Amino acid sequence: MKVENVTLEKKYHSAVEHWQRHNFKDYPSLLENWQKYFPTDDEFCLCAKMELGTPDVVQVGDFKGEKKRVKPDEMTEEQAKHLLAIIKAQASTEFGSIQQHSGTLERAMDDQDRYWVMRVMAEELRHGYQMLHLLLSEDWSHVSGGVTGEQMFEEILSMQTGGHVLDAFNLDYDSFIDNITFAAVIDRVGKYQLTMQKVCAYKPMADSMPPMLREEAFHLAAGVVPMRRWAQRAAQGDPLLSMEMIQHSLNKWVPRGLEMFGDERGGDTNVKFGFKDMKNQDASDLYYVELTKMVRDINARYIRARFPEYETGKAEQVIDELATARGTHHGVTYDDLLHVPDKRFFRRKGVHAFEMVGIAGESFTDADEYLRYLAKHLNDGYIASRDMRNYADALRKVAAGEITRDQASKAMPKLKRVGGTCPCSKGVRWVMEEPTGEQTTVARRSGH
Amino acid sequence: MPDVQQKARIRPLDELDIGGIVGIDEKIGGKYRPDFWEQRVVFYLRRDPDASRVAEVDGKVVGFMLGDVRAGEFGLEEPSGWIERFGIHPDFRGRDLGKQMFDAIVTHFRAQGATSVRTLVDGKEAGVVGFLNALGFAPSPLQALEISLKS
Repeated sequence: MKVENVTLEKKYHSAVEHWQRHNFKDYPSLLENWQKYFPTDDEFCLCAKMELGTPDVVQVGDFKGEKKRVKPDEMTEEQAKHLLAIIKAQASTEFGSIQQHSGTLERAMDDQDRYWVMRVMAEELRHGYQMLHLLLSEDWSHVSGGVTGEQMFEEILSMQTGGHVLDAFNLDYDSFIDNITFAAVIDRVGKYQLTMQKVCAYKPMADSMPPMLREEAFHLAAGVVPMRRWAQRAAQGDPLLSMEMIQHSLNKWVPRGLEMFGDERGGDTNVKFGFKDMKNQDASDLYYVELTKMVRDINARYIRARFPEYETGKAEQVIDELATARGTHHGVTYDDLLHVPDKRFFRRKGVHAFEMVGIAGESFTDADEYLRYLAKHLNDGYIASRDMRNYADALRKVAAGEITRDQASKAMPKLKRVGGTCPCSKGVRWVMEEPTGEQTTVARRSGH
Repeated sequence: MPDVQQKARIRPLDELDIGGIVGIDEKIGGKYRPDFWEQRVVFYLRRDPDASRVAEVDGKVVGFMLGDVRAGEFGLEEPSGWIERFGIHPDFRGRDLGKQMFDAIVTHFRAQGATSVRTLVDGKEAGVVGFLNALGFAPSPLQALEISLKS
């Protein structure tokens, strides 16, 4: 593969570095210790990387076989608008995840885990930079309602946790377990999105994907490997780690991961326009299978640590027997293992939004009974959050027939920035979007 | 016995292959070494995840070949593809999986600009030497040298 490195115009590059100083304070420490934790790897480069030699011809959709577009105005207005929304959402997620990781980074029990997450953060910063390059290197104003590249750039860098485009990036982490689970579960969605976008009919977007995907492979490992080791420690009786703690984190993130694929009924437009090669449902189904494989792998590590005399085949057999009989194997129960929650569990978007379904697929009819169930299966820090309170309020209204599930999905409040131009501004408010499109402030927090 | 009709899929390594690789290594060497393989797999994933390969049959990893392209080491300025570790589950040997993984990894090395493929082998491992010879490896003018530091 051949890759061209591109740096943003100086004022934009400096603004990203300024953002990094506020949101990723450990970045200098990562660079200083790079060779200690990643010996012989290339040094980190804050730049956009464009793969050379990718296909010139549209690979899927209505324009299949035509030359790929290299400028926004070569696409139809509808296409360009749609792609612009994808790029902005992608940029938002990259910067959003750094803000999330930062909050609990220092709580890592292990230095290697911490530096692995810091590398993930640095590469997310680069991925965000990549998307900013796509916004700034061409003129999108004809489909952005007159908003300039510079204004979009500022809008993205001014987003705070709570104000990002996708829900998964608006949740605070409660402990370092969330850093790791996020890498294993949410970055896995990122892998699917980037893989689907490798075919993108807009060539600069397609060229951006392979370098990002190569980095994403490490991000998934930075989640899965610590989880494997924690499972081992839990099996060996470490009082500071348990499978239940990991399961609670999975319960928090898997539903949000499934929702990141978009509504299960959608995705046709992306394929029609040649931006992605899979629809939402197809991609999320594959993702779910992969999560199942991941959890089985971690469970095998747990069983091997509990019974060191067992070979791999025997450990697999024990997992199968526990899943079938739901019994006990020398003190290990089915509930001691990790499980991927049912696809309908704790959803707030998509076809299963606000259905009341448990981790194993069990149904609930009473909202408060379901909330008590969630309280048992999510960690305390998250249960006592505004996000959960908003969810509970919406769920009760759905159960009482006051609003539909669809209305509840749209009514979940989001944090929005109040105003000002400094990316450091923390003046934000919780707003509820009304059916008319108007916004009502329901809470406010500020500071600078 | 595994069904010999099952077709193998050769694909790039990913983080969910660690358990499978640990199992193959244990089957071959008799030791369970998850920590070691976690470190090695992460090493190759962060350097070049498209290079290393696994062979999968019926959804199970039955073989692996780990390597990457390096330049500037040992005075070798030109990029070389290095194959560091490989293994095939004993039940799946004789099915050409090693050759298939090797062909895939070499295709990638070539695309990366490598002009040669290198590896090191313990001459006492007759089976491994035979396998590498069958792939086309020949003795190199470069010699592996060592000094024992054990007292």
